[in-house]
Amino acid sequence: MNLRTTKQNGEWINRTKRINFSFEGETFTAYEGDTISSALWAAGQKVLGRSFKYHRARGVLSLANHDVNILVTDGVDTNMRADVVLVKEGMVLNAVNTIGGVKKDKNSYIDSISPLLPVGFYYKAFHTPRRLFPFWEKVIRKAAGLGIVNFDYPRILKRKLHTHCDVLIIGAGPTGLTAACIVAEAGLEVTIVDENQQAGGSLGYNRGGSLAMARQLTELLDKVAGYSNINLVTGAYAAGYYPDHLIPIVANDGITKVRAKTVIVASGAFEQPPVFRYNDLPGVMLGSAAQRLIYRYGVKPFNNGVVVTANDYGYRVALDLIDAGTKVLAVVDLRTVASPFSVEVAKRGVKIYPGHCVYEALASSDKSSVRGAIICAYDEQKNVAITSKKITIECDGIAMSAGWAPAGALLYQAGTSMQFDYGVQQFVPSRIPDGIFAAGKVNGIYELEQRINDGTRAANAALRYLGLSAPDNALQKHMGTSPSHAYPMVPHDKGKNFVDFDEDIQIKDFVNAAKEGFDNIELMKRFTTVGMGPSQGKHSNMNAIRILAKIRDLPVEKIGTTTSRPFFHPTPIGHLGGRGFHSHRLTALHQWHAEHGAVFTDIGAWKRAAYYPANGQSKEDAIQAEAMAVRNTVGIIDGSSFGKIEVHGADAAEFLERFFTGVYATQKVGSCRYVMLLDESGVIVDDGIASRLADDLFYLSIGTSNAAAVYREMQRSQQMWQLDLGLVNVTGALGAINIAGPAAREILATLTDLDLSYESFPMSSVRESKVAGVEARLIRVAFVSDVGYEMHIPMAQLPEVWQALLDAGKKHGIRPFGSDTQRLLRLEMGHAMPGVDTDGLTNPFEIGAEWALKMNKPYFIGQRSLQILEKKPLRKRLVAFVLAENFKGEMPMDCNLVLEGREILGRITSIAYSKFIDRSIGLAFVTPGKTAIGSQFQIRTDSGISVTATVVKTPFLKK
Amino acid sequence: MQALSTKNSLKLDAQTSPVALAQQGDDVQWAVVNNMQIAATFSTPDVEQARKKVLGVTDVSCFHRYGFKGPKAAQWAVDHELAIPSNPNAWTLSDKKSLVLRLGGSEFVVEDQPGGDACQKLASVTARSAGVYKVPRADAAFILSGSAVLNLFSELCSLDLRPSSVLVSDVIMTQVAGISAIVLRQTIAGEPVYRIWCDGTYGAYMWKTLIKIAVELGGGAVGLASYQH
Repeated sequence: MNLRTTKQNGEWINRTKRINFSFEGETFTAYEGDTISSALWAAGQKVLGRSFKYHRARGVLSLANHDVNILVTDGVDTNMRADVVLVKEGMVLNAVNTIGGVKKDKNSYIDSISPLLPVGFYYKAFHTPRRLFPFWEKVIRKAAGLGIVNFDYPRILKRKLHTHCDVLIIGAGPTGLTAACIVAEAGLEVTIVDENQQAGGSLGYNRGGSLAMARQLTELLDKVAGYSNINLVTGAYAAGYYPDHLIPIVANDGITKVRAKTVIVASGAFEQPPVFRYNDLPGVMLGSAAQRLIYRYGVKPFNNGVVVTANDYGYRVALDLIDAGTKVLAVVDLRTVASPFSVEVAKRGVKIYPGHCVYEALASSDKSSVRGAIICAYDEQKNVAITSKKITIECDGIAMSAGWAPAGALLYQAGTSMQFDYGVQQFVPSRIPDGIFAAGKVNGIYELEQRINDGTRAANAALRYLGLSAPDNALQKHMGTSPSHAYPMVPHDKGKNFVDFDEDIQIKDFVNAAKEGFDNIELMKRFTTVGMGPSQGKHSNMNAIRILAKIRDLPVEKIGTTTSRPFFHPTPIGHLGGRGFHSHRLTALHQWHAEHGAVFTDIGAWKRAAYYPANGQSKEDAIQAEAMAVRNTVGIIDGSSFGKIEVHGADAAEFLERFFTGVYATQKVGSCRYVMLLDESGVIVDDGIASRLADDLFYLSIGTSNAAAVYREMQRSQQMWQLDLGLVNVTGALGAINIAGPAAREILATLTDLDLSYESFPMSSVRESKVAGVEARLIRVAFVSDVGYEMHIPMAQLPEVWQALLDAGKKHGIRPFGSDTQRLLRLEMGHAMPGVDTDGLTNPFEIGAEWALKMNKPYFIGQRSLQILEKKPLRKRLVAFVLAENFKGEMPMDCNLVLEGREILGRITSIAYSKFIDRSIGLAFVTPGKTAIGSQFQIRTDSGISVTATVVKTPFLKK
Repeated sequence: MQALSTKNSLKLDAQTSPVALAQQGDDVQWAVVNNMQIAATFSTPDVEQARKKVLGVTDVSCFHRYGFKGPKAAQWAVDHELAIPSNPNAWTLSDKKSLVLRLGGSEFVVEDQPGGDACQKLASVTARSAGVYKVPRADAAFILSGSAVLNLFSELCSLDLRPSSVLVSDVIMTQVAGISAIVLRQTIAGEPVYRIWCDGTYGAYMWKTLIKIAVELGGGAVGLASYQH
């Protein structure tokens, strides 16, 4: 069957170029510009997909990017929307969500058992017996979801761009295009975006049997093309509204984030289906879908059809169908009022049934198409069909026009207050945030001339908002009859009158949900899943609200709407991911590390050398070898990633007093002190060393991961405290090397004139001198070894000093060690590390850091919380532990639980085998009752084995 | 800038541009400028000129820089004969050969263009001055030229950097490719270019990101030698 019409004025297809493709193993021919659905429909293919739940046959519904039952795969991409995806030469397509194909889907039997599967059945079933739940879970998981994820999907770059304009207009229908011209005429930069492949909106297809609108569209587009300052973007949708008029525009090739000075939302409305039995059969489609088929793709929707309507729009659809060659057998109008178009339609030989409804669409024997419609009188007061007299009309298609729902998602997201306008039976904006303007159908304006006027009004308002002079036009209310019916629902004893096509939800499902107590729109949404399918309720939410209002006998505005969140339309993950920027920092020694076989690890923003395995050496062996070098001779580590911050000024010490937990006012120049930073709740954030270089200069070295956050917090605190000081973050400007081990002092002495004797340069002191001719700050630390020197030097000169140390230490067998080895070394020293041995709830009392707290200071961050906490009993405490000597069992891991029976006492925070000590050692949180030296506790390993640990003193190293 | 003496390999233990790690390849010729190894050329002059016209990315991390901040920083700069912008977040030329960037109200970055010596003069001032704090600089710095520069920024920066929105004297502190950066418009030898500075430890990442997009847009890496005139 060929449903292709003669050439239509303004059609989107190129009839000179034919395209061959296959669908479900059958070959089809299309024209360039056809969508998959339009091409199949033109060829007479009625069953294009299967519904999600009951696997019912489905065809064209909207042809507007919302036909979510018609999802296809080409073997690479899945869930392609056939109603809008253009067909391409050689495509091999199959419908998703079928077993055995769309025509003979083996799962179609589910439709026949649908009474057993009402909404929410799976909430109640399958819980008992519990042993069977895994079986049912597998069944449900298999049934849920659409399509099969292709794990070999190619990585296709989808750019995320940023652009700017004066005015962003969403919707390139007559309203938006008119607004664009007015704004452009004022010299402003305009971006106008529309999800359709071509601009024009309904002006391109809502013709009502006349070419006048097509001509009007051509004139309007010509006018738009004449403005160089209009950027018309089609085939892209505005996906959400974010503060300050930031709107992501999603196109096939990526997302463009548009920042506009003002926004005009002329996004139109979604046509809503009336609800009657079998309104989902292939051949039953929205009136606007029928018009799109005709005028965009030159396809006749059906041969003999019925139009069911509840507004004047349906009469225009009837006229368009007649022009396309469809024999329109009846226009069935739920209303009793006469339409201004009824005379013209009647003149074309169409019988009009005012005050009637389609009670039921009749299905062909295999339920794959329409064979007729049963018409009954409709009681508009009770919203029921009067079934005493049924009229059966044989037909192969039904066009539906019952009303509209505003495409107001972005308005909602922007914070617009909406009110229900009974004149148009839809929600319309009542209060819109500054800088945003609504126009056209989304504003409740439907007549073409009025829409153009409304576009003009909105454009002028936008101009005035931007400080330009423009007329202040008054908002005109919609004139004429309502474009939407108040309750286009037709109950039927046998059901299958679908409200939500995505999820196969019928009227009775809402009634049942309300009976179950889910009678709030948000609860009802979640129980019935209405609006939770891929079309996100664009064709169902409004009817769901109306049904709930009727159930609860409340006005629609009392029911309200569900929350609209970005993104407005399902957006591929690849679009959200974009190019995938992964910023990272490298030290000046990175290449050296790489060339010497380092294995890198990510710590904070940095790539750090974790360890340097020799050929064939395991990670564990490499770490142990590096640690042994530090213990027995000497090692060096690139510590450039440490946070490094200078605090300058007369109030520098006062700042540290307030910011950290210790005492710094009395700290002597040339000395170092431990610093611990808490948050206001007393939780440990970070720690480090404060080196006093002058009375008015402290040099802080802090952990890698938190450095940026600590610096930001310092800036924030200084903003509040307004002390006489300056903060300088030198993390990237200075590199750091730590040389550690028994030979460290001897090696360093060959490269500096500084007196390194323990008397002149004792532990916890800082000196400024030169190392290998390079200015350096030297700090005596004992983080990984009792003999250790940190050298902080300009990052660019790091390689010179590193190499000099390697050369000088050659005879001692100096070798580099990485951050993983550093963790083992500090564990041997018994040092807890914030972020490793603490978590987001740990306070200093819990790690035994009372010594670091000067509680009687006037103030420090977190002090007040600690004053409260110290009066409370401890709930956990960090302890050092060892496993049994020569332990050979399954090694516990970080985060393994400490258990007593089934009770959780705590967890391991660090654990490692130390070759130097020849013992497995670690730190763990345990309950206070388990902290005594010699106490034992059980660790449960990943495989469930219990391992005994014994609490010991630190350091683990014997002095 | 003098003609550069180049070689085709890097010395690992010498000062090197923080960007160099991401630049190494068979065709790169290295030069030492201001005691720092820097990429002098990546290809033939014709190829690099063509890239410059579309989207050329040049590493100029080797330029001398000096940073200082503090409540008395502006006065200190004037006392040391440095021309400074009168407005925050602006830049000016001092002695025609040194860029002076004012970051906010009280922080300054000075960058000597070829022939400039303001940084060395300032660095020679060793006495500490109350209310003035030296800010060590180890930036990765870039020149971006060509007709497609704004296309690149469109992907990397959320701000409107078009000439119609950015004053010639504006200094913009923003995020580029997800990291903190300074951006301004400059004219070099009559050619309008954009400049980017970021922390040197992000230099390799920034270079890779810039070059990847530049190549996609028809441009690419341009050596410092192409600016020697």
